[in-house]
Amino acid sequence: MKVSSFKWLFGKNSEFWPTNMKTGMWAWVGHRLTGLGLVAYVFLHLSFLSTASFGEDGASFDDLMATTSQPLFVAIDFLLVVAVIYHAMNGLRVVLFDLGMGIRRQKLVFWICMAVAAVLSIGGLWAVWKLIFVSSGGA
Amino acid sequence: MAEQRIATTKVAGTWAWALQRLSAVLLIVFLGIHIYASHFMNLGEETAGDTLITFEDVSIRLDQLLYIIVDYGMLSMILFHGLNGLRTVMFDFDIFAKRHKLVDVGLWILGLATLVWGIFILLPFITGSGG
Repeated sequence: MKVSSFKWLFGKNSEFWPTNMKTGMWAWVGHRLTGLGLVAYVFLHLSFLSTASFGEDGASFDDLMATTSQPLFVAIDFLLVVAVIYHAMNGLRVVLFDLGMGIRRQKLVFWICMAVAAVLSIGGLWAVWKLIFVSSGGA
Repeated sequence: MAEQRIATTKVAGTWAWALQRLSAVLLIVFLGIHIYASHFMNLGEETAGDTLITFEDVSIRLDQLLYIIVDYGMLSMILFHGLNGLRTVMFDFDIFAKRHKLVDVGLWILGLATLVWGIFILLPFITGSGG
């Protein structure tokens, strides 16, 4: 990619420069970034599980679960949960607009979806916080 | 710019658009079932109170046809939704939009191969052997 086209895409006058972006554009950029991250995650998820599935016995799966219940893994898992919740809630907003609902109040709909996303994220944190901050490795 | 957007819409396809929305809504429901079944459901007395998921837990769950359908159905929809989303992003770039048929074929192969991979990953849990 040429420098000029990079400037056109991401420079100060571009539609992606942070101060040029409004609510809907932020929502769109966030949707794409979380979407790409989640696609990468699916392949990571299958890779991890396949190391356990094709082992000798059930023990290899249980070992994997013990490893992935360590605080660092659970903390990364929580980021994944937040990404999923954001993507789902903003996706719901996109579906509503495609059905012709709420377009005129798109900012309000966005913030309602984000409020729901925040509540769900806090619920997610409540479910895993012990694994991150208290115990070292589940059970 | 406007012309480019119209061209992108044309190669992306109406069916893909509709199925992207349908799978999106279904995935929210399936994901809820998946998280609840994996982490919150009480699976028999011998595993109750155990915070770690064991091979046995998953195996007990996958004795039921419903959960086999939920898991494989979810994997299929995730792969479709994820790779079709990736396709949408790619088609916003001229270099991929110009070669949209090649992109379609490549992503279909990747998706189907990954689905087969996923089917094999879950088999030891369904048969209850190996793992």
